[in-house]
Amino acid sequence: MVFSSLFFTFAFLPVTLILYYSLGKHLRNIVLLAASLFFYAWGEPVYVILMCISIMINYYIGSFLDKNNTGRRKRKLLLITSLVFNLGCLAYFKYFGMLISTIAFVSSWNLNAAAPALPIGISFYTFQALSYVIDVYRGKIKSQKSPILFALYISMFPQLVAGPIVNYADIESQLADRRMTLRKFSAGLRRFLCGLSKKVLLANNIGLLWSEVKAMPGTEISVLMAWGGIIAFTLQIYFDFSGYSDMAIGLGKMFGFHFKENFKYPYISQSISEFWRRWHISLGSWFKEYVYIPLGGNREGKWKLIRNLLIVWFLTGLWHGASWNFVLWGLYFGALILIERLFLHKRMKQWPKAVRLIYSLLFVVIGWVFFEFTNLTDALSYLGIMFGAGGNVLIDTQTIDKLETYAVLYLVCIIAATPLPKKLVLSFKMIHCYIYKLAVSVYYCALMFFSAAYMVGSTYNSFIYFRF
Amino acid sequence: MYIKNKKSLAVICNIVCVIPLLFILAMLILHLTLPEKTFSKEERRYLAQWPVFHTEGIIDGSYVTKVETYFSDQFPFRNFWVQIQEGSNQILLKR
Repeated sequence: MVFSSLFFTFAFLPVTLILYYSLGKHLRNIVLLAASLFFYAWGEPVYVILMCISIMINYYIGSFLDKNNTGRRKRKLLLITSLVFNLGCLAYFKYFGMLISTIAFVSSWNLNAAAPALPIGISFYTFQALSYVIDVYRGKIKSQKSPILFALYISMFPQLVAGPIVNYADIESQLADRRMTLRKFSAGLRRFLCGLSKKVLLANNIGLLWSEVKAMPGTEISVLMAWGGIIAFTLQIYFDFSGYSDMAIGLGKMFGFHFKENFKYPYISQSISEFWRRWHISLGSWFKEYVYIPLGGNREGKWKLIRNLLIVWFLTGLWHGASWNFVLWGLYFGALILIERLFLHKRMKQWPKAVRLIYSLLFVVIGWVFFEFTNLTDALSYLGIMFGAGGNVLIDTQTIDKLETYAVLYLVCIIAATPLPKKLVLSFKMIHCYIYKLAVSVYYCALMFFSAAYMVGSTYNSFIYFRF
Repeated sequence: MYIKNKKSLAVICNIVCVIPLLFILAMLILHLTLPEKTFSKEERRYLAQWPVFHTEGIIDGSYVTKVETYFSDQFPFRNFWVQIQEGSNQILLKR
């Protein structure tokens, strides 16, 4: 079940909310857990068992780690068991197919092993489980005594399938007791609507342009079209992913939780390092906390820093998908961040703001080419078109036609990706309290209305054949 | 007079605030109460009905897909929403 489906928004969500708020306070966590398991089982009727096994194993490892009479060696053994189990599951269910095809490619053996289907959200819940076990091992947190609350932490449906990755320490106290107010609820509802419309109104529509460009044969794409296409993808992936995070944060609020922000306007970044502090923040901080700092971070000299950064960015890339293009994409950013840290850091400060912005955006957009094309040859030939190496025309009538069609949407998307609308709205706040509040509420009603229209519209299959 | 206005404004604000939620609930209730349609004249196709339960369908995931199709095919005022989408597409995408 995805958040942007009619079934989720108009059936699952209201029913869950009614049960959650109508059954007494002591039943709330059980309702939420049951709803989460139902939510997961809806899409993954078999793999829900895998998730439950993972929950049980990590729960028991956590409680053994926290016992006073567990010796140091035993604690280490427990940690290793958990690492092997969690990463083993991830490796088998996510990367087995990639491993087999790589071995087959390198050794030219004929390997015929069926790779398992990827369980939804495994990358997210495994990372949450790992953060819990490692933090208990480090003594940073106490283990969770209640299996229900622990299961809720791992499986909570708002952040289960697409993040943000929530650290146990951040919501430990909220699991047992959280305050719910009408104000918090309506703020959550608004955040959910904001995310929903980012996904349904912006991402899906601008994504149409990119799929049109992607479907065109390479020789027919003009240089301008190539840029227009990849910029459309740049906007699509941002609104898609940050929209999901907004929905997750909003849903969390509706149930009384407070999750940390996952996106902070990444496309206004002044450097690549800053981009990664604004994009998918929860993943970046996970890798920093559990990989980069344990490896020594930047404290042990230049060479160790280079090694650590490359390891972190290799893994960050690999996390995004079981394909080598993601690794390349990760290492590409690793290299850029390394260059910034070692050479550019001081010089960049003297660049004008606009130059820094263009520099960051340019490299981010080029990065999305590697992200989007699984095949390196395709990626390079697309980059070739963008930089005029393919001998394609600069601009043609088809390009003008297409870009004109999408001009309004482009403009809306670009403005919406900056903090400008928020600043503008907040500047009105002083003027008239109630009129301001009323206008904001009406705006969210409109978002709901149009999102519903686009959600229904996407399921509308008119038989085009009949028109002719 | 001013205070009264302010109070009524506050009430209106609180009501408007939860309208999206009321809307979601209203759609669910309408969905459950409105009679089900079998044929869509505009799309020239039969609309999905509530699927028959099969254990195999649960395991391979086809049952839930059918439920979701049923839900979207029988969504209240479906044609109205599609018209809204087409209308706003003309403004947003000029087509």
